[in-house]
Amino acid sequence: MLSGGLTAALGMAGVALGLSAIFGETRHLKISWLLPLVGVIFDLGQVGGFFVAATGAVSIAVGIYAVGYAQREHWARFPLVMLPLFVAAMLLVPAAGSVTTFLLAWELMAGASLVLVLSEHQREAVRSAGVFYAVMTQLGFAAILVALVVLSAAGGGDAFATIAAHAGGLSPGTRTAVFLLTLMGFGSKAGLLPLHAWLPRAHPEAPSPVSALMSAAMVNMGIYGIIRIDLQLLGPGPHWWGLTLMIFGAVSAVFGVLQASVATDLKRLLAYSTTENMGLITLALGAATLLSSYGAHQVAAMAMTAALLLILSHAAFKTLAFLAAGSVLAATGLRDLDKLGGLARRMPGTTVMFGIAALGASGLPLGAGFVGEWLLLQSLIHSPHENNTLLALTMPLSVGAVALTTGLGIAAMVKAFGVGFLARPRSAAAAAAREAPASMMAGMGIAAAACAVFAVAPVLLGPVLSHVLTALPSVGGREAGPALGTYLRLPGIAGSMSPGLIAAALVVAVILALGLARWGARHRPVAATVPLWACGADSLSSKMQYTATSFAEPLQRVFDNVLKPETDVEVTHFAESQYLVERVTYRTLLADPVEQRLYTPVVRAVTIWAQWVRRAHPGSVHLYLTYGALGLLIVLVIAR
Amino acid sequence: MSWIGKIRRVGRIVEAADEAPEATAAPPTGVTGSLQLRHVDCGSCNGCELEISGAFSSVYDAERFGARVVASPRHADGLIATGVVTRNMHQPLLNTLKAVPEPRVVIAVGDCAINGGAFAQGYGVVGSVADVIPVDVQVPGCPPTPQQIIAALRTVTGR
Repeated sequence: MLSGGLTAALGMAGVALGLSAIFGETRHLKISWLLPLVGVIFDLGQVGGFFVAATGAVSIAVGIYAVGYAQREHWARFPLVMLPLFVAAMLLVPAAGSVTTFLLAWELMAGASLVLVLSEHQREAVRSAGVFYAVMTQLGFAAILVALVVLSAAGGGDAFATIAAHAGGLSPGTRTAVFLLTLMGFGSKAGLLPLHAWLPRAHPEAPSPVSALMSAAMVNMGIYGIIRIDLQLLGPGPHWWGLTLMIFGAVSAVFGVLQASVATDLKRLLAYSTTENMGLITLALGAATLLSSYGAHQVAAMAMTAALLLILSHAAFKTLAFLAAGSVLAATGLRDLDKLGGLARRMPGTTVMFGIAALGASGLPLGAGFVGEWLLLQSLIHSPHENNTLLALTMPLSVGAVALTTGLGIAAMVKAFGVGFLARPRSAAAAAAREAPASMMAGMGIAAAACAVFAVAPVLLGPVLSHVLTALPSVGGREAGPALGTYLRLPGIAGSMSPGLIAAALVVAVILALGLARWGARHRPVAATVPLWACGADSLSSKMQYTATSFAEPLQRVFDNVLKPETDVEVTHFAESQYLVERVTYRTLLADPVEQRLYTPVVRAVTIWAQWVRRAHPGSVHLYLTYGALGLLIVLVIAR
Repeated sequence: MSWIGKIRRVGRIVEAADEAPEATAAPPTGVTGSLQLRHVDCGSCNGCELEISGAFSSVYDAERFGARVVASPRHADGLIATGVVTRNMHQPLLNTLKAVPEPRVVIAVGDCAINGGAFAQGYGVVGSVADVIPVDVQVPGCPPTPQQIIAALRTVTGR
C-alpha cells in the first residue's frame, strides 16, 4: 500500500514538474555537497520535462495497480522498497543537467530495475534473464560513459549547458565517435536491434508492474538520451546520422513486430512489440534529422511531432497492456497464449482493458497509436525529394517498412487478444480465472483513459508538443508542427484528419445499426436456443480452437528465411501396420535468430578468453600480492 | 461496348424445362423458388451421391430450379438424406436435423433411405431415414436418375 502510494505520488510530482518545465522556465538546481568535485546539477528543460511527465504518468497508473498486485502476489518487502526508488531514478535521468549527474541517475535506474527484475529470483529463468539484462545494460552504460566522458572533455565542462555552448567547436571525429557510442548505449536501453536481446528475456520474467514501468517508461530513456545528447546537444548532425537512425529504427520495427507476431508468450509478445515501437520512434527521429539536414523543416517538424506522440501513446498502451497481462498472470499463473482463452467471460474488465491496449498497439483508427503513425506516414510520404536521390530512395522504403510493421502489428495484437481472451479456456487454470481487484482495475483505468485521450482527442496534447518542439531546433523545431486541433491539419500539405469526428461517426453508426436491427426484428418469432453446430459430432472441445501457434503458422511460413524456426514432426505408427498412426508429435522452436547468430559467437569468444585469463588466478595469495605490488609500481612509474 | 450488344442480340439460350410437377410438400415459409439444402450421407453406397452431383452439375443444373446444396445446416432450409441410417450416423443425423432452422423439409433420396433397400436389417443398420426422422419427400430408385431427383426438388421449390 505504502509502496504503491509512494510510487503514484512520485508519479504525480513527476507529471506536475514535467508540465511546469514544458510550459515554464528551465528549472535549475545545484547540490554541490552530494558528489565530490563536481556536485549534482539538475537542469530540467522542455525535452526533459516531457519525459519526466511521461514517466510520471506511467508511474501513477503502475503505483495504483501495484497496491492490489503486491497484495495478491504476496510481494516481499525488498521489491516493494525498490519500486518507488526505481521510479525516482527514472525521474532523475531526464532532469539531470550534467554528465556526472546523468550517469549517476542512469546507473541508479539500471541497478534498481535489475533488482526488480530479480524479484522472483527463485526461478532459474528469472536468474538467467537477470544475468542477460545486467550484462547488456552495463555494456550499454560503458558505451554511454565513454561517449559522455569524451564529450565533456571536448566540450570543456561537465554541465550540459557548457557542452551545448561549446558544441559548435567540436571536431567531426569527436562528434562521430560520441554519436556512434551513445547510439549503441542508448539503443541497447531502447531495445533497438541488434541490442534488443535483453528485452524479450527480462520483461516477461519481471513482475508485471515492473514490466510496465520498464517497457513504457525506462526504454523511453534510451530515446531521451538520443534526443538530448545527439540531436539537441550535438545537432544538427550530418545526413548520415539521420540515415543511420532510420535504418536502425526500420530494421528494429520490422524485426520486432515479426517476432511479436509469432510469439506465444503474452509478455514476450508485448516485449517484442516494445522493440517494434521504439523502432518506429527511432525511424521518426531519423526522418526528422534527415529531412531537417536537407532543409525541409516543415516536414521534419511533422516527423518529430509524430515521434513525440508515439512516445506518449506507446507509454500509455504498453502500460495498459502489461498491467492487463499482469492481472491475467495473477489470476491464472499463465503467460502462454496456447493455454489461455475464455477470459472474456471470467475477467470482463481486464479483457476490455487489454482490448483497448491491443487496439492502440495495432495502430488502427480509434487506437492510441493511430495518430502518431498517421503523422509519421504523412511526413514520410510528403517529404520533398525532388533532385535528391537519398530522400527519394529512403522515404518510400521507410513507408514500406512502417506499413509492413503496422500490418504485422495488427496480426500480433489480434492473436494476443483473440487467442488469449476470447473463445473457450484451454486449461483448467484459465477456466478458474477471477477478476482483478479494484485497485488493479483503477490503475488500468487510468492508462485506458490516457489511451482514449490519445486516440480521440490529441488536441489536448497540442500545446505540450509544440512547446517541446521549439526546444529542438535541429530536428524541425524551427517551424510550427502540425496543428493538433479537432481537425489535424498538416501545414503546407493538403491533409487533414479528425480522430474525434471519426469516433463520433462510429458511435452514431453503431447506434443507428443497433436501432435498425431492433426495429427490423420486432415481428420476428422468439429466437430458439440450440446446441452449437459441431459438424454432426456431439460437442466441440477447446482443442479444436485456433491456438497462438497455429494462428501465426502462415506468417512463420512466409517469413521462414528470417525467423528460421526449428520444426520437428514425429509420427509413430502402430506395430501392426505402417498405414495406421498411433501418435503425431509436433514441436516447434522459435529462437531469436539475431541472438543466435550474433550473441552465441561473442559469448563463446568471451568464455574462451575468460578461461585463458583464469590461468592467472590460481588462488595463491602470494601471487595476488605480487600482482598488486606490480600494479602499484606501474602506476608510480607512469605518474612519476 | 460491342459485347453488351452481342448479349442483347443473342438473348438467353436455355433448353426449355419440362412442365413443373405438382407440389408434394409445402416449401418452408419464405423460401419459394430458393431452397438451400444440406446433404447427409447416412450410410449410402455413394451411388445416390453420384446422381445428386449429376443433378447439380452443369448438364442437369438443378440450381436453375432454385435448389442449391450448401455447406452448413445453419444456412439450409432442409436436408437431403441418402442411404440407410447406420449406427455411427444415427446421432449425427439427429444433430444435423436439429441444426437446420425451422420450418424445414427432409428429402430422402434412394431406396435405402426410403426402406433400407439392399441393406435393410443389416447388423449395423438402425433403419431407414423415415424410421429416424420425419421425411417430407421421397425419391425412389437405386439410384434415382438426376431427372428424377430434379423432378422431386421441383415439387418443393415450385419452379
